[in-house]
Amino acid sequence: MSEKTSISRREFLKYAGLAGGAAMTASAVAACGGATPAPEPTKAPEPTKVPEPTKAEAPTEAPPVVGKPFDGVTVRMHAISGANYDELYKIIPEWEEETGAKVEFVFKGNGFETDKRLVQDFAAGSVDYDVCWDHSSFFSQYVKAGGLEPLDDYFGEEDLADFIPRLVDAGRRDGKLWLIPRHFDISCTHYRTDLLGDSNPPETWDEFKEMAIELTDPDKGIYGTQFAGKEEALSGRFYEVQTAEGGELFDENWEPTFNSPAGVKAATMFAELYEAGAMPPGMTSFLWEDVAKNFANGTIAMYTEWFGWYSYFQDPESSQVAGKFDLARQPKGDGGIHSGWAGHHAFSITKVSENKEAAASLIKHLTGVEGNELEANLGILVARQSVWDKIIPEAETSDDPLDKKRLELALLQAKEDFKTPPLIAEWLPMSNIMYPILQKIILGDVDAQAGLDDAAEQVRDMMAKAGYYS
Amino acid sequence: MTTQTPAGSPARAGTRVGISREDKRLAVALLMPGIVVVVLVVAFPMLYSLYLSFTDYTLTNTSGYQFVGLNNYIELFKDPIFWQAFVRTVLFMALAVNLEFIIGLAIAQLMAKAVVGRGLLRTILMMPMMFAPILVGFQFKWFFNDQVGLVNNLLFSLTGKTHIIPWLVDKPLGFIAILVAEVWMSTPFMVIILEAGILSLPTEPFEAAEVDGASGWQKFRRLTLPMIMPFVYTAMAIRSLDLARAYDVVSIMTGGGPANRTELIWTYVNRLAFIGHDYAMGSAMSYVTVAVSFLFTFYLFTNVMKSRWEGAK
Amino acid sequence: MSAGGYAKAGRRRRSGDVVRDIALYLIILAFFVPALWIILTSVRPNIEINARPPVWIPSKLTLDSYKILLGWPTPEGAFGLGGEIPFGDYARNSVVIALTSTFFALTFGTLVGYAFSRFTFRGRNGIFLSLMLARAVPGIALSLPLFILFARLGLSNTILGMIIIYVALNIPFTAWLMDGFFRAIPAELDEAAMIDGCSRWAAFLRVDLPLALPGVAAAGIFAFLTSWNEFALASVITRTPASRTFPPALFEFTGSFVSDWRGMCAMSVMMLIPAIIFVALVQRQLMAGLTMGAMKG
Repeated sequence: MSEKTSISRREFLKYAGLAGGAAMTASAVAACGGATPAPEPTKAPEPTKVPEPTKAEAPTEAPPVVGKPFDGVTVRMHAISGANYDELYKIIPEWEEETGAKVEFVFKGNGFETDKRLVQDFAAGSVDYDVCWDHSSFFSQYVKAGGLEPLDDYFGEEDLADFIPRLVDAGRRDGKLWLIPRHFDISCTHYRTDLLGDSNPPETWDEFKEMAIELTDPDKGIYGTQFAGKEEALSGRFYEVQTAEGGELFDENWEPTFNSPAGVKAATMFAELYEAGAMPPGMTSFLWEDVAKNFANGTIAMYTEWFGWYSYFQDPESSQVAGKFDLARQPKGDGGIHSGWAGHHAFSITKVSENKEAAASLIKHLTGVEGNELEANLGILVARQSVWDKIIPEAETSDDPLDKKRLELALLQAKEDFKTPPLIAEWLPMSNIMYPILQKIILGDVDAQAGLDDAAEQVRDMMAKAGYYS
Repeated sequence: MTTQTPAGSPARAGTRVGISREDKRLAVALLMPGIVVVVLVVAFPMLYSLYLSFTDYTLTNTSGYQFVGLNNYIELFKDPIFWQAFVRTVLFMALAVNLEFIIGLAIAQLMAKAVVGRGLLRTILMMPMMFAPILVGFQFKWFFNDQVGLVNNLLFSLTGKTHIIPWLVDKPLGFIAILVAEVWMSTPFMVIILEAGILSLPTEPFEAAEVDGASGWQKFRRLTLPMIMPFVYTAMAIRSLDLARAYDVVSIMTGGGPANRTELIWTYVNRLAFIGHDYAMGSAMSYVTVAVSFLFTFYLFTNVMKSRWEGAK
Repeated sequence: MSAGGYAKAGRRRRSGDVVRDIALYLIILAFFVPALWIILTSVRPNIEINARPPVWIPSKLTLDSYKILLGWPTPEGAFGLGGEIPFGDYARNSVVIALTSTFFALTFGTLVGYAFSRFTFRGRNGIFLSLMLARAVPGIALSLPLFILFARLGLSNTILGMIIIYVALNIPFTAWLMDGFFRAIPAELDEAAMIDGCSRWAAFLRVDLPLALPGVAAAGIFAFLTSWNEFALASVITRTPASRTFPPALFEFTGSFVSDWRGMCAMSVMMLIPAIIFVALVQRQLMAGLTMGAMKG
């Protein structure tokens, strides 16, 4: 049999080379034939290039006698969905009625997925929508990618006056406004009144740690506390504790400083709680839903949680702790600051949109008083002061004594403690570096100072690559 | 004309000199559609990705990137997490494939002798293969949850004491958890192929061995095992290609964490590229890994090709 | 030579056999339990799903999740999750994409496999290995550049785009499998047909293909399941119910905060039904084909 049955190395390399060469020339030809390989979002596909919005399109100019301001326009939305988010979209039909425009949802998904898609779309130049969901923690990435339109021309002083100032400011960068707030969330201490008994909730993080260790009762299956232990959740919790202890993530030159004594103290607290058995051992695999579940199952004495979970905890159908818990402001640290990691959901307009006026109008409607009231009735913390002024007195008449306290606490925290992570596009990448190391510290694989030093170095490298130190 | 050509032997083209022009045209026509589609979907993007691995392309800076040569590759060679993940991935795949082989062979033996309801059994057995891997990931993530998961709850119900075992966290346990999920999902595949192999074995040698008084174990070791090796190679070769399914499961169960404890190459690349936005580095890592699985696949498939294109024993 | 191994080598049923059968059923059960759990979770009230201490016997069953999927009115909305689920769109997309891509993958793959089996030519080994390697590239490495490429070509978020991708994904394995099957068919049969006046192509259609049908069935199962359950690429390329398939849709049940496990399990059970039907129908062919010795070296 003259057939060769196994290929020698030389022959294999020859074939591989031929195949590779052929493919490479083919793709080189294709690449030359097409545009440059790099997708450039700001020079996105020509057809959607938009002329500068002229004032002639503004609805303030008297519309034609029979027309509606945006008759025939389709505004396309890239939206967050799931849980309660979709309720707000029910007020869209009245806007469509009023303006003659149509709203089309191009994408709906949960928060992280929505963010990922936006990043990919801005990177690939495949943006085909006008309005997009946005968030104070995430928008800096989109600004850096050149995907968003500054909103100062579309929203004047009067338009913004009713929003809680700290929220609006959290959407400003480089002197421009990029987000219009929809609603926010912030965390407070949730604690079991039956387990704490007469004790007051902790005022400082030192107290918090001691109480948590004391309250841990393995025989009853009770843990003193817990934290969401992975991804941005962990980075965020660390951030707010180290801030309370007087630390900062960066100094004014963008050098990482979270390995300061304040940062080390914060990280050590987590590690000590874990080591003392005061937290569920699986916590480093917990995310928001898992920690909420645990509290609802009655296994946690106290922990910090978003206000948004309140109705879930008070619902006897889903929670075993309904009526057995109370809320308190988050503890403060050595820096005299109360923790207050927060963020707000918002709307933005894309740079490549051809219908910016219509988009702005839709956003005004969605973030207007009616929308806010709708969301406030669902227990969501809204952005408009006037709506707060209305619902707090209303809460007095509720059966649940916590209703009013909850709202007042939330408002207080929004005004005084509300703090977003650094408004830079690198927040997620740096969180990506930090959280595995924080997990190592918690699990005892490495001590706090060494771990944070390592993290600081890696973050510094990343910031250097991103051009912060030139 | 009726000389018995052993099954599996190469085409009798061996007796011709070259192939006829008509045959050549046909061969090209047969190959073209398949190859074109694969090149379009796989080769182009991978080449683009290779190009990007020599730049500093990030997802938030897609127009300002520059050529940086081998920097990414140099950095990744210095990255301890990458190498740990790499070793862990190889270990994971090796363990998974071997466990699946052993368990699969045991089950296949049992099934080959079962008389009743083979078809039904086979269909049930194939169920893990029919679930989407991400669903399997969610399912096992929940099973192994230390607070409300099935495993710890089962232990509680059986022993009356609360056992909070952090399956997804502790050092060997996390690895075991993802291994269990992967083995559960992919053993049926092995069973099917091995069962087919066992069923297709000739009976005469076994009857002869029985007559000679060989024990079950001896028969297994000396007859069954050697004769099904070609099947085994086949199955393992195919499994090695299916790393993608394992990625789905692990990324849902642990995401490679905590603290990089269950980090596989692909979970690391995914986080780096899509959350860290460092797509260029992610591409470089993908390439190093693809190069290695290239060698792995090359080795396995040349063995398969050798045994297939050499002719049956 | 008769096949069947020692299973048929004249043994009487002994007690050892009974033990073996029991062991077998237990093992099968172990494999089935997680699947059972998924089905069970899909019909429970939400509070039981994550309860501690565990709730083994559900206090009541509810078909609410299924009703939501099928668009029937439910007494109360799904816990915490508003919005309707475009189940019909997902089903249509998944079915169309999986079946079409399976069909084309089988077609192209079979042709390629035939070419490998019958012809030798320079570069054959190289091309063969390259095809196998194409299959070794995992979805996430491919997803972003593929997304950019498809966005350029206008194929992103289209059913056609997904079909093309899955065809490419399934060709290597099909080709490899069919290569094996065709080799088991003696070349003399082709020759005989050609001497009778058929062209090689006609010989293929009339002689080889019918004999290799079990192989096509086997490849078909794997191709279908791959397309049906694929997640990484589908989640990047599809965005809206216009082209979204079931696996990314499953993921949609997870929120950043709350996840609807019951809904996800319900959709998984619905996803399972076509897969089971397909496999049950074809598995007989599959076994026949595999035992034809075509899988041997």
